[in-house]
Amino acid sequence: MVFEQLTGNLFQGLVLGAVYGMATMGLSLIFGVLKVVNVGHGAFVMVGAFITFWLFSALGVNPIFAIPVAFVIGLGLGLFFYYTVIQRLIKAPELATLLATFSIGVLLQEVVKLIFGSEFRGYNWTVGKIDLGLTVLPVSKLLASLGSVGIAVLLYIWFNRTRAGSAMRSVVEDSEGARVCGVNVGAAYAWSFALGIGLTVTSGVLLTMFIPVGINPYMGGGYTLKAFVIAVLGGLSSPYGAFFGGLVFGLIENGSYTLFALLPGVEPFALTRFLSFLILLIILLIRPTGLLTRK
Amino acid sequence: MLQVRDLESGYGPMQVLWKPGLEVKAGTVTSLLGPNGAGKSTLLGTVFGSVPPWGGTVVYEGKEITREPTHKKVQLGMALVPEGKHLFPNMTVEENLYMGAYLKRAEAHREESLEQVYELFPRLKERRRQMAGLLSGGEQQMVTVGRSLMTKPKLIMLDEPSQGLAPLLVELMFETIRKMKDDIGLTILLVEQNADASLEAADYVYVMHEGTIKAEGTPDQIKASDDIREAFLGM
Repeated sequence: MVFEQLTGNLFQGLVLGAVYGMATMGLSLIFGVLKVVNVGHGAFVMVGAFITFWLFSALGVNPIFAIPVAFVIGLGLGLFFYYTVIQRLIKAPELATLLATFSIGVLLQEVVKLIFGSEFRGYNWTVGKIDLGLTVLPVSKLLASLGSVGIAVLLYIWFNRTRAGSAMRSVVEDSEGARVCGVNVGAAYAWSFALGIGLTVTSGVLLTMFIPVGINPYMGGGYTLKAFVIAVLGGLSSPYGAFFGGLVFGLIENGSYTLFALLPGVEPFALTRFLSFLILLIILLIRPTGLLTRK
Repeated sequence: MLQVRDLESGYGPMQVLWKPGLEVKAGTVTSLLGPNGAGKSTLLGTVFGSVPPWGGTVVYEGKEITREPTHKKVQLGMALVPEGKHLFPNMTVEENLYMGAYLKRAEAHREESLEQVYELFPRLKERRRQMAGLLSGGEQQMVTVGRSLMTKPKLIMLDEPSQGLAPLLVELMFETIRKMKDDIGLTILLVEQNADASLEAADYVYVMHEGTIKAEGTPDQIKASDDIREAFLGM
């Protein structure tokens, strides 16, 4: 009985982990190219969640179609914040970009609060459930997970098969080397930041497809924390490492939830969060470059 | 082909270049000699644009390009072989070389350029599927030179290409410089610590010290002047 519950939950963890992984790729991409830690990460996830919520509640748009909308808005926000803020700080000490991205996060929260207010929102998109043997899963969650895998695959192809993708990879590896090859490094910085934010806002859509409630301006904090743990799991600067880190994290979160629930008198959800921090600390102690990195 | 006049630049508040000027004639090897810290690398970096110029002019093929961004300069046929290699360690040798043909103008010729590079450095052909980060120092230097050749340059500026190499590889590097000039028809601006080999390879020589040009002449003139050799070249 417990075993069945555990396998079922672990499978759900994998499904959720794909979404977590996708939700961290933007953070890793931005760090990989610009060496900027986007502390405002969760706020961009929140923007994506509100885009989905608003499109669905006000216009009746299917959350799947919110994906391209969120991506384009994310690209726009990314370019805007790159040219107004980040560009000036690339060569500044890290503290400057930490404070700047933190402030951008606060700004986004307050702007969204002005428009939508601070109460919790949710939407009800009913597309039925599907029995996968191991567990019964709402179709919306399955779509979110498959969508995440699809986006990760598209990103991989884009990175490895297009000119812009190879330019970005070369900047990650050595920006001076990229310059010598004729890569417009400044443009690569701007578009990497935009792409990273685009992915992050898009992940807000997928996350609300998974959990369509609890949408409010301050929902991002938890996601920022999870993204940091996942990014460190996967080795901070690789979007694919981040994706696999997400899968691992989904398994840990759901597996531990099931196990913690067996302990009498324990609130399992609170403990999974404690566990995330614990994992982060342990990894930073033993492998500060990330668990899934080479070397 | 290249005229540099009154160039000024530096890092932060520290000025490194104090208005040096030089000329590189098409089809020649021009050597820039001088002790450590003379500003030779900074001069190449400022001409290329990776170090922003403060003042002065860079004229290339009759066009003033002082403040053009680096990717425009590569597009115009100017290449830099940077000091310290700056390879892409997690890409294979061949991927590194193909990155050199990133711009459309170079991409059109990328297969023939690749053949040319493999002809110059047969060792790279053997290693083409290896990660660049795993190569020896000498092989990495070959990739760096090869990658810059892949940009289809007319003018190639080499920053300390023989630095840290074993004597045999230093010889190979200077042999390559000769081939780039004679066989490929490139114009070369060479910065070197190795004054002997550099004087041997050069058609014309500038001697740099403390951010300015202190002397210039043919290699024979430089070699004949005891003052210059003793004061700036330690020979």
